[in-house]
Amino acid sequence: MNAPDRYERFVVPEGTKKVSFEKDTKIMNAASFTIEREDHTIGNILRMQLHRDPNVLFAGYKLPHPLQYKIIVRIHTASQSSPTQAYNQAINDLDSELENLKQAFEDEKNRFEERKQPY
Amino acid sequence: MDRSAAGVSYQRFPRVRIRELKDDYAKFELRDTDASMANALRRVMIAEVPTVAIDLVEIESNSSVLNDEFIAHRLGLIPLTSSGAMGMRFSRDCDACDGDGSCEHCSVEFHLAARATDANKTLEVTSNDLRSTDPKVCPVDQAMAYQQAIGTADPYDTSTASDHRGILIVKLRRGQELRLRAIARKGIAKDHAKWSPAATVTFMYEPDIRINEELMETLTLEEKTSWVESSPTKVFDIDPNTQQVVVVDREAYTYDDEVIKKAEAMGKPGLIEISAKEDSFVFTVETTGAITAYELIINAITVLRQKLDAVRLQEEDGDFTGLDAHLGVA
Ligand SMILES: [Zn+2]
Repeated sequence: MNAPDRYERFVVPEGTKKVSFEKDTKIMNAASFTIEREDHTIGNILRMQLHRDPNVLFAGYKLPHPLQYKIIVRIHTASQSSPTQAYNQAINDLDSELENLKQAFEDEKNRFEERKQPY
Repeated sequence: MDRSAAGVSYQRFPRVRIRELKDDYAKFELRDTDASMANALRRVMIAEVPTVAIDLVEIESNSSVLNDEFIAHRLGLIPLTSSGAMGMRFSRDCDACDGDGSCEHCSVEFHLAARATDANKTLEVTSNDLRSTDPKVCPVDQAMAYQQAIGTADPYDTSTASDHRGILIVKLRRGQELRLRAIARKGIAKDHAKWSPAATVTFMYEPDIRINEELMETLTLEEKTSWVESSPTKVFDIDPNTQQVVVVDREAYTYDDEVIKKAEAMGKPGLIEISAKEDSFVFTVETTGAITAYELIINAITVLRQKLDAVRLQEEDGDFTGLDAHLGVA
């Protein structure tokens, strides 16, 4: 009767921001990003991509509660970079990796079909 | 400190090799990326690639033994051809309608009418009795029977037209009747599992198996046989000519450590070394038939990119230090 709608798991409520971030008050170049309606799928690829950046001193994510549909990504960088810069770079890199992967799949499908018909 | 300047790309360039590709099945190797990417793709394929499924049922008449909700639930689980789902709208954000099924952008209407008249035989009402108002969206069995009839079926599909008997919805005895109108909508499996296009999606790390040949040669044939047989899956065998232990199926290894324990028990530690290649994966993808395995993979990549795009910081978020990326400064 009073169960929440199923779509609440993946639809960002009106008036809520998809991504918000808060700078750490004590540490320089550290910040927490709250991403609404996302889970391990985004959290883990972001974290792993951030680890590839040598300017990132710390990157981690948590899903605070299974019924709170949000993740928190925490980033701490060296002074040459900033959490927002590292965050943006990680997304750009992941996006181009996937763009590449799609092309790789399409090319490989063509090659596969040629291999299938050797005459 | 040796740190590179900010704004440098740490992008990877994954490689793919397809081993098998059928309409509803694919097996491929994914290399030069990590487990987080492999797992994200797996998760998106299972729960976030959209399909079309029956979501609203108006029962006009039901005198069958199953109640209305039971039948509505069964209708929802029937896989419908969903190649066009990526281009459809979710009813929830369709501004052309209120999601009642009259709208071509977000829904497809189905009709079903069946009445048992034969006294001696129960009537089986199946997915083949569903009549779609859109030829692109219909139960997968109907689509397969049609493709076979016009000769465009998957050449590796060995089923015959008579195999497409449809999915049983309910059985009717004489005098019983089922009449209904159903609306199919676009959705994702995060909402309800009926929208999942995936039957199974799995990946495994490619194992790297190294036999210490020198140590292996100190074993007698009986010892080799006993060691080979200690593996629960058939990973190794003995070459009948050279009597050497060979790897026959690397990927049959289940990371069970049995052969390693056996080598230790035989007093030959280091006889075998097995590690997982952390950047190589073997994927197995099976679909329900709603979309092809290839479509599932490609759509998963597209959906994951859309998700990444949605989590980008907006300029008004303040303290936007990623500005140089926009100016093209590397
Ligand atoms: Zn609509």
